[in-house]
Amino acid sequence: MAPAPHEREEEIRAHLELYVEQLVAEGRTPEEARREARLRFGNPRAKLEEISDMSRLPIVDALWRDLKYGVRVLRRSPAFTVTAVLTLALAIGANAAVFSLAHSLLLAPLPYPEPDRLAMVVTHYIGADGAVIDTDISQDGRQWEAARDRVPSIDAAVLSGGGSGVNMILGETAVIARQQRVSAGYFRVLGVAPLVGREFQREEDVPNGPAVTILSYRLWQRAYGGKPDILGQTVFLRGEPYAVIGVMPEGFESWADPDLWTPLRPSTRGEGGGTNYEVIARLRPGVTWAQAAGELASLSTPDLFESRGRPREGVMMVEGLEPMQQAMATSYGLSQPIVMLAVSVGIVLLVACVNLAALLLARGAGRVKEIATRMALGSGRRAVVRQLMVEAAIIAVLGGAIGLGVGYVGLEWLKDLGSDVFGEWDAVSLDGTVVAVTLLASLVTSVLFGLVPALQASRIRVQAAMTDGGSRSIAGSARHWPRRLLVVAEVALGVVLLVSAGLLIRTFVQLRGLDPGFDPDGLVTTTASMQDKRYESAERVNRLFDDTLRRLEATPGIEAASVSLELPYARLLNLGFAMPDDPDLTRTITNAMYVTPGFLDTFRIPLRDGRAFTDRDRIDTPPVAVVNQTWVRIYSPQRPAIGRRIAIMGEEREIVGVMGDVQQTQSFRLDEITPGPIVSLPLVLVPASQTTDAALRTLHTWFWPVWTVRARSASVAAEALRTAIRESDPMLPIDDITTMDQVMARATSRQRLLMTLAALLAGAALLLSAIGIHGLIAHAVQERRREFGIRLALGATPAGTMRAVAGGGILLAAIGAMLGGLLSIPATRLVEAFLWGVTERDPATYAAVAGFMLLVAGVASVVPSLRILRLDPAETLRE
Amino acid sequence: MAGTLDMLILRILRVGPAHGLFIAQAIERRSEDVLLVEQGSLYPALHRLEDRGWIAADWGVSDSGRRARFYRLTPKGRRQLEAETARWETLVDAIGRVMRPETE
Repeated sequence: MAPAPHEREEEIRAHLELYVEQLVAEGRTPEEARREARLRFGNPRAKLEEISDMSRLPIVDALWRDLKYGVRVLRRSPAFTVTAVLTLALAIGANAAVFSLAHSLLLAPLPYPEPDRLAMVVTHYIGADGAVIDTDISQDGRQWEAARDRVPSIDAAVLSGGGSGVNMILGETAVIARQQRVSAGYFRVLGVAPLVGREFQREEDVPNGPAVTILSYRLWQRAYGGKPDILGQTVFLRGEPYAVIGVMPEGFESWADPDLWTPLRPSTRGEGGGTNYEVIARLRPGVTWAQAAGELASLSTPDLFESRGRPREGVMMVEGLEPMQQAMATSYGLSQPIVMLAVSVGIVLLVACVNLAALLLARGAGRVKEIATRMALGSGRRAVVRQLMVEAAIIAVLGGAIGLGVGYVGLEWLKDLGSDVFGEWDAVSLDGTVVAVTLLASLVTSVLFGLVPALQASRIRVQAAMTDGGSRSIAGSARHWPRRLLVVAEVALGVVLLVSAGLLIRTFVQLRGLDPGFDPDGLVTTTASMQDKRYESAERVNRLFDDTLRRLEATPGIEAASVSLELPYARLLNLGFAMPDDPDLTRTITNAMYVTPGFLDTFRIPLRDGRAFTDRDRIDTPPVAVVNQTWVRIYSPQRPAIGRRIAIMGEEREIVGVMGDVQQTQSFRLDEITPGPIVSLPLVLVPASQTTDAALRTLHTWFWPVWTVRARSASVAAEALRTAIRESDPMLPIDDITTMDQVMARATSRQRLLMTLAALLAGAALLLSAIGIHGLIAHAVQERRREFGIRLALGATPAGTMRAVAGGGILLAAIGAMLGGLLSIPATRLVEAFLWGVTERDPATYAAVAGFMLLVAGVASVVPSLRILRLDPAETLRE
Repeated sequence: MAGTLDMLILRILRVGPAHGLFIAQAIERRSEDVLLVEQGSLYPALHRLEDRGWIAADWGVSDSGRRARFYRLTPKGRRQLEAETARWETLVDAIGRVMRPETE
């Protein structure tokens, strides 16, 4: 092996010293000797370089030179470099962030063994043409029992919703723990066994079965320090002792990320009488999807769907099976927004690539002379192409790197924005696949757009380019046609995104502009769970309400206070009712909630007729109810509602008052109500004091009562709420304290999220289009300086010349905007499902987008053409 | 002529290990100062030969007590020298016949 460079250097030094020594010994003076030695040896530095060159691969060397040259060239034109890199970074960053989301939610396999054999039992609504109109994953007790007992192809289990908070006593303190109720076999179906202990047995999972629980690894560690003798320990939930029978392993993921699981105890009555369950299943070995789906479909007799009410004319209900991941994404409403986002991001990426291509084309054209010079000096065509590709690769790598950063920040921000809508987003992170896809995207972009202009540039006829000078010819502008088409294309794509974003913005503005029906300013709320042994009787619950309200009303600064089962803008309880004086009434569904007497006053909801509840409405006085105006419009249009009797929430009541409408989250549909996310549904109020124990127990498994106070100062209100509830019941943990404004914002957070994302992506596309137009005009001005010089010298006015140049850009934008408008008509189908109060062909939106686009195009065209004003004809002609 | 210096170096080293200066001076001495080697040119050649494994080197001390790198022929280098010598002789022979045909 040859020695290292420093050794070779030492060897040569030793050689020279030895030689000098010899020469001195022969009688020369040291100075003469040194000169002679230098002469005979030659230049040591040159020899060392020759040696080090021998040990290098020629291609690496050439690439290194290209790289250094490329960096120098790019630094000489910072505007181009920064634009290109940022264009790529923006597109790649957006791509990485949204792709990460889509990947983990739609593509990544579920974290269970054989995830492709996991399914959910669903009810398909099938139209007259045989197409699936709607898929409902909610099932009732009867459907669950049918799936368990009459479908041999599947092993099924059942759970209830996304879990809920529950009061848990840990040592001396009360906390809210997240609990999920699941049936026996739940963990077996998922394919994950408990780390310690066992899962629920079928005989435990029955009404009035033993109180047992399975802990999450996290809770086991936090509350018990991971002690191995956990089995049989007692956990106090809702004031009741539960025996621990198992602990799930670390990293076990499931719905709602609960702290502990308790038996669901499914039945066909009570909770199981309505569609409140979700049924999961695993295909048994050797069974095909078609087989299992066929067995389920054969169960589809009308009595299976009894609790769902009759479907619309011509619509059929069929029991079926969907892959679990697909069913989850659909049921949480994830797939549509993600598809919409992915399409939008794809468009932005496309616009970015179009822009980059235009930039590189222009740059390739501008470098004709430089490249011709290099080729005249003997550079091979391959070397020139390689050089240009290396430049493109530098841009791609920089863009890709910054893009990853943008993607990381963007994803964190998306999660922040989306977490109140999609809890599952918490776990999403930029993963390896996405990083790989991103790098690939940047590489492909580099090769594609590095290669095309590189080949084009290398095809230059050297002589023609050198003598023509390229930039001097007036007819040279013919080369701009590809760029013009690219600009038209990116404007059109940008308009499509702008129209979609505009429609979503209109929807959101509409939602936020709704009259709430009450005065939200100064309202502060909190909730607490009544799923507690101590609050099983209506009497005990009402004592808590009375006690806390009395304390609140006595607090200085508190203007009014009340407790209600839920809040306006929330999703309320759907409840059936009957009218004894009208037994033929067929549709009998309404929103309902109990309230304390101060409810209407606290919220400042107007009373339209009759009276509100008072302290004199007690358990031993005649039962009463208050309905809202929408209820009257739909269920009692012909006769006065006041004085009629209504059977609801366990009692037959007299309607004593009519209240104004308030906005609610839509929880069911009626023909009389325009569908939308936030609407005024029929609503029936009953006094909290006139509820039965049984009704409250059922209600309180789904809903937590809400305390609301009206106060000038939010901090005074928060402190008052905390103190009043703590003093009434020190062992009752309360949830976060929020203002009514926050509650209202949360009700429209899905719309806000979509609107923000669409607007951001549309803004990015708009920015890129503006950059594209600006680049085109600036380049044209630069290239035609000589022509403009002549024109100005011949008497053209600068203003007129400027108008002609800028007008070209605006004309292109106008053509692009028209094309984009036409494209939007089919494209907006993607957002149709998210629109409310605005049609997808809303002329105002189209007009506003066209106007905005032209305004931006105008600015992007005029700014670079201002340079014409500064042209000195004498100077340009001399060049 | 290409490769000639390499062959000369291998030939010198057949006698025994030597350092760079000695090799250069040996070539001059043996050729009776006809072949004047630019001493520095020796090193790229030595580097190449070492890379090919024909010679090997170790640090040692010269007769005058200075540190120097001593080169020696490897078995591979010895075979190479034999091949080169044979080719060289054939070449010289052939050139000789071309240059002096009348003596035949």
